[in-house]
Amino acid sequence: MKSGFLRVSVFAICLILVFVYITHFLTEISGGDSSGGSAVTGVSPEAGEAIFWGKGKCFTCHSIGGRGSAIRCPNLGDSNQGPVIGVRTEERAAQRSAETGRKFTGTDYLVETLATPGAYVVEGFKNEMPLVFMPPISLQAEEIMAVITYLQSQGGEPDPAGIKLPAKMLAAASAAPEPFKPYLAGDWEAGRHWFYDVTGPAGCVRCHIAIDENGQETGGQVGPSLTMIAATRGPQYILESILSPSAVIASGYESELVITKKGTFIAGLAKEENDEQLMLVTSLPETLYVKKNDIEKRVPQPTSVMPSNFSELMSVQLLHDILAYLLTLNGEAPTAEVAAAP
Amino acid sequence: MNCLRRFRRNKALNFAVLIALCFLLILPVVAQSANAHPSRAGMLQEEAVADTSAVVGTDPLSEDYRTVWGMDSRVVVWIVAELHLMFGAFVLGVPLFAVILEVVAVKTGDLRYDKLAHEFTTLLSAAFATTAALGGLQAFVLIGLYPTFMKYLGGVFHQSFYIYALMFFGEAFALYLYYYSWERMKNHKGWHITLGVIMNIFGIMIMVIANSWASFMMSPSGVDPQSGNVLSHWEAFFNPLWNPLNIHRFLANITFGGVVAAAYAAVKFLGTDDPDEKAHYDWMGYVGNFVAIASLIFLPFAGYYLGREIYSFSSVMGNNMMGGAFSWTFIVQAILIGMLFIGANFYLWSGMQRIPGAERYQGYIKYINFVLLLCFAVWLTPHNLPLSPEEQIVMGGQYHPVLKYLGLMSAKNAAVNFIIISTFFSFLLYRRANKGELWKFSQQGNQAKIVLAAVAVICLGMLFWYAEFLFTLEPESMDLGEEKRQYFMFPAILLVVQMAVVVVGLFLTYKDRGELAQYICMGMTVFSGVFCLGVYGYVIMTQANAFLRNIAVSQFMMLLSCLIFVSAIDIFLFRKAKEIGGIAWGRMTTASQYILVLICVSTVLLIALMGFIRSGLREDWHVYGILRDTSASAFTPSMAYMGQVVGLIAIIFLGMISFVFWLGTGLGSKERKGAIS
Repeated sequence: MKSGFLRVSVFAICLILVFVYITHFLTEISGGDSSGGSAVTGVSPEAGEAIFWGKGKCFTCHSIGGRGSAIRCPNLGDSNQGPVIGVRTEERAAQRSAETGRKFTGTDYLVETLATPGAYVVEGFKNEMPLVFMPPISLQAEEIMAVITYLQSQGGEPDPAGIKLPAKMLAAASAAPEPFKPYLAGDWEAGRHWFYDVTGPAGCVRCHIAIDENGQETGGQVGPSLTMIAATRGPQYILESILSPSAVIASGYESELVITKKGTFIAGLAKEENDEQLMLVTSLPETLYVKKNDIEKRVPQPTSVMPSNFSELMSVQLLHDILAYLLTLNGEAPTAEVAAAP
Repeated sequence: MNCLRRFRRNKALNFAVLIALCFLLILPVVAQSANAHPSRAGMLQEEAVADTSAVVGTDPLSEDYRTVWGMDSRVVVWIVAELHLMFGAFVLGVPLFAVILEVVAVKTGDLRYDKLAHEFTTLLSAAFATTAALGGLQAFVLIGLYPTFMKYLGGVFHQSFYIYALMFFGEAFALYLYYYSWERMKNHKGWHITLGVIMNIFGIMIMVIANSWASFMMSPSGVDPQSGNVLSHWEAFFNPLWNPLNIHRFLANITFGGVVAAAYAAVKFLGTDDPDEKAHYDWMGYVGNFVAIASLIFLPFAGYYLGREIYSFSSVMGNNMMGGAFSWTFIVQAILIGMLFIGANFYLWSGMQRIPGAERYQGYIKYINFVLLLCFAVWLTPHNLPLSPEEQIVMGGQYHPVLKYLGLMSAKNAAVNFIIISTFFSFLLYRRANKGELWKFSQQGNQAKIVLAAVAVICLGMLFWYAEFLFTLEPESMDLGEEKRQYFMFPAILLVVQMAVVVVGLFLTYKDRGELAQYICMGMTVFSGVFCLGVYGYVIMTQANAFLRNIAVSQFMMLLSCLIFVSAIDIFLFRKAKEIGGIAWGRMTTASQYILVLICVSTVLLIALMGFIRSGLREDWHVYGILRDTSASAFTPSMAYMGQVVGLIAIIFLGMISFVFWLGTGLGSKERKGAIS
């Protein structure tokens, strides 16, 4: 009996291990673990593309030409259902103008399909498109506009200025989402210590200006000033910026790689330049000046100069301590009262 | 008094009652706190107030989420909930067929069925206390780790919490009375069976109440969508996915109970050399497997119904299930279900080796096997794979020119129907394996004719109902143009043809050509339901996609009528037929017993996988669209990670239930050995 049970147990465990292997194998061939948000933000076709094929879940119903496999709703690419959507919108706009007596542009048509999907249903398809600005998808107004520009870019020209979301849609899409809460409570004073400690794992002051306990603005200029960060950015954005610095690069802080004729590589921010030389700010203490005659090539970099390994350098508690400190920076010297405010 | 003394001595019962008491103590606490803050808005407001105060230490009222001993809260809840669900499925599924076996014993006078029912109930009583303990643990971890969510859920459902606990008492008392009164009431079987039925009523009540909580999280109703405030407790209870989930879980519980009992018998079979015990456990394994397959056959349809209703409630959720983040998990599901069906067929074919006369049907097996493997391959085929540009160039595009068709729902539905009808055919072969000369139907009296005619009328009614629905279906109701009406006609006509087949089958059976009637009925079902509608589904997908679901229902109607009518013919056809030889119970191969274990492990993995999918479909919502999950775990884990957790759950469950069975039956093996002989 005992050996019989043992054999059966080994058999059962082997079956389970095969199952686990299959799930790993399928994860690999199906594109791996693709969880995670979009790194691109703002109203742009790139941001819209990321939302269309990600958070917005548009791809679960629509394909675009040969991309995607959904057939439940119209293919938005060049297909037997019409030309590519950027072109198709103009035809539909003319049709909607004739039907409603109201002047439609291609952009208006796209807005209408998202605001009131049932207003015009493509023949052969069901009126089943959800309102993307309502739960569970809950796209924000900016995200909806990004998707529209992405669709416009499919065979047409993006026209973000022409997008006018209806008031009802705007109100719902602009409603405040669930407030983000840091996972741990941080100690802002400890955070301030780590911010200014250039020998520690963080040492943010080497590149960023902040306000110390005396109310003085000190720090490097490689990265943007953080003296008003609490007033302009939320905790989620700050955390993401620390852990994934290349996800969103602040305007004016795009780095570039300078390759000299001698074969030297210098990555940094071009702060100033004239006909003769280029002033580069790097993580080094001193500012570098490179003669333009010595430059072989300048390559804009898609990544930030900020190190991307803070998740390895800092503990979770230290990260939250620094976050707590940054959330006190609203243009004045940080105080305990400011730190305790909600 | 003897019964009462046993009742008092039983530690398992005492434990179960203790856990039930714990339930009664815990639930009012949750309900009370929920009553204080019934709305989500209220809760958030309170939290905001709590956040502004400078609090020293941790304020329990301000915590939405907690962790315990550094473990991931979601994984803790995931494992505990799944284990509770599995034990619950077992203790709710087994009583259903234990009582049916007892009824069979009374009707046929075959005491083997009575003893088997008693043995199944023995397993049940051992597992019941563990189920209760896991239920208590689940309540604790939910309240402890997800306090805000439980506050909300308590606010919506606190009334049903009390009823649930009372039903739990009812189930516990009815189960132990049923078990311990077996000998005492052996001369009052009617009353004893009534007790079993009452036990099952309590069990089903427990299931449907718990289902309302789970289904509400997916398809909330009766609450204000903006604030989450409760508008109607009744509507929240009877939410859109409640009934589909009830049907699906009801059938799945029976399957689960059957496969676990069959695996138990297999382990016992492999562990004994005693011929009597081998015979007994061989038979027990067969009955367990039969029960499991009988309900498994209907599970794909129940699953389709649940999936359809999920889609109807939220197209976002539905699309995410079949075309989004969860679509690949259905490939894993197909592998497991394929293993179940192929394993079940293999077991039947192995069983035929111990039946004299079965060699006449051995030739069919290779064809059935071919069909099963082919359908399995179709079911497994994905619509497309993520390919590199080079790979796309080699293949000529993102989709394979032929295989892309096999990845669509139409092919999958056809394959499932073919698998089911092939398995049914295997079972028919098994049933007639040792039957020799038949007793003509025309000589079986009027009762047989009337019963068969009644079955035919039921099948005709079912087919007519749906054919009439299709003939009168308004295209507008599906947002289709009037010109699309023509596409509804073909499946409706095939349903009418199927009605004609039933009438012809009835006529042939009356003329003593029952076997021919069976072959015609099954052949036409395969032709119409699998091939015609399978191919026609592609036409519908391009011309009137919204109608595709009706194609699936038409296929189901054809298959169901075929299963019912052919089974009825089979019962009369082989009633009182001469036997070539008796079934040599106990002379089963070792491989066949491992197949029973494989079926059990596959089912355990399947139930855990489907639990993951059902729960995961909510994505970052505790209550879909109402209460958002703002914890660090508000993301869908990868399939690889899911595989690890599901594998761990399966190992824990199989280990626990083995231990529980050993406690409940292994220690008293001498007593039971006497009962078997």
